Amino acid sequence: MGCFLCLEMSQPLKCSLCEEAATVHLSQVVQGKVTKVHLCEACAQKGGATDPAIFQLADALTAPAVAPSLTCPHCGFTDIDFRKRGRLGCPDCWKTFGDALGGLLVKVQHEATHVGRAPAGVAPVGQMRHRLDAARSEMEVAIAAEDFEGAARLRDEIAQLELQLRNS
Amino acid sequence: MSVQDILSAENELTHMLGAQQAVVLSTRIRLARNLDGMPFPGWAKAPQRKEIAERCVEALNQLPKFRRGHVLRMGELTDLDRAVLVERHLVSKELASGKFGAAVISKDQTCSVMINEEDHLRIQVVKAGWHLRGTWNIAEQLDDALGPNLKFAFSEKLGYLTACPTNVGTGLRASAMVHLPGLCLAGHMEKVSRALSQDGLAVRGWLGEGTEAAGNIFQISNQQTLGLSEDAILRHLGGWIKNVVEQEWNARRKLATEEGDKFVDRLSRSLGVLRYARLLTSAESMNMLSHLRLACDMGCLPEERRHIVDRLMIEGQPAHVQMRQGGELDSDGRDLRRASVVREALRDFPELGPPTA
Repeated sequence: MGCFLCLEMSQPLKCSLCEEAATVHLSQVVQGKVTKVHLCEACAQKGGATDPAIFQLADALTAPAVAPSLTCPHCGFTDIDFRKRGRLGCPDCWKTFGDALGGLLVKVQHEATHVGRAPAGVAPVGQMRHRLDAARSEMEVAIAAEDFEGAARLRDEIAQLELQLRNS
Repeated sequence: MSVQDILSAENELTHMLGAQQAVVLSTRIRLARNLDGMPFPGWAKAPQRKEIAERCVEALNQLPKFRRGHVLRMGELTDLDRAVLVERHLVSKELASGKFGAAVISKDQTCSVMINEEDHLRIQVVKAGWHLRGTWNIAEQLDDALGPNLKFAFSEKLGYLTACPTNVGTGLRASAMVHLPGLCLAGHMEKVSRALSQDGLAVRGWLGEGTEAAGNIFQISNQQTLGLSEDAILRHLGGWIKNVVEQEWNARRKLATEEGDKFVDRLSRSLGVLRYARLLTSAESMNMLSHLRLACDMGCLPEERRHIVDRLMIEGQPAHVQMRQGGELDSDGRDLRRASVVREALRDFPELGPPTA
């Protein structure tokens, strides 16, 4: 359940340029608008000439997803194990394999950084990002409802959060 | 406490079905969580998996939500028990196939927590009908309540750490189980499915990954768990479900108007077969029950009959049929038994009238 290999096999996306199965997935955010591009490996290498990022990504994928001979000091899991199983050995493995998995994460998740909840008392950065997200949508609602007092309060909160995040 | 008790108890999915559940059968939230410092179940040694199970069961037992609930250890159940739990969506096939998995299920069966599946904990909350926020709120409360007792593996950069890269970040999979006979009959399902998957949503059959869409029932869920907040994930899924429900109703109304008598004839034939057949395969009964469900939604059959159809969809599955019989049956035996259960339940169904919806 939830293995990325199964997900991709059950729901193959087609390449945006041809009918081949897409293996390269790109998300671009321009002024808040998200554009997603799905490319097969061939098109990613030739067709994406206008976008150098596509080349970089294609390179990352054709290279081994995990550099060889990495071992988790905590549980003894290796990169070879990951290639066999598609799953990691323990939470600490993310420290060992995190960098090497960067390309794969972009491929399956389109993003590489968490935004969202955090356990109580942990990771104020994540929580601040989460709150910032919520405050921005709340401000939109307040403006639409012409609640300018509420909107001003939220604007100040957003500015404060942005400042704290920049300094963290 | 046996699996039989779970099946016969009043529960969310078989007893809470009301009028508002025409298209969305159920809403589900799943959170993947792991204990800090412990190997993931797929890599842990047997004693570690045992320790993980004990710690998790103990923490869950302290929550009011699981008071008078059920603790099921997969190693102590029969094959048939486990298959029934999978058909009920209370546990996954993966959990059912391992010896060290356990499931803790709340009395009303809205909350079920799988232990030692792919991750240490899979917190699941399910509600009949379309209740995305309500379902999320319960999951969030469970997550918060477990936090103080179980230290979850978390990284500031990557969020909640999971065994598979497809779940890291929020660990959140939000999904809706939808009944889409209109879009299927009109031949639009492939297009809809493609649009959804291009926008980051997965469309699966009713028993999850790799299963066929029996009975025109699909599970639609988010794929991305990293780089989007829980709120953004829910809004994205919610927007699409609203859209799919609208399109489904448009397709149904168009079919009913354009096909006229043919529409009612098609659904009536399914009722005819279900009422008189002596052998019914699982796929055949699901597809024909889907027609009856559509007939109830469209006003061709009284709406209060829909819950009977829904119950038959659940109870007509292979393991349920065998459990009811009291033991294992071969394929012919199941088809015979299934047909008799369906015949009995539909005996006093009236003839279909013209659509009114």
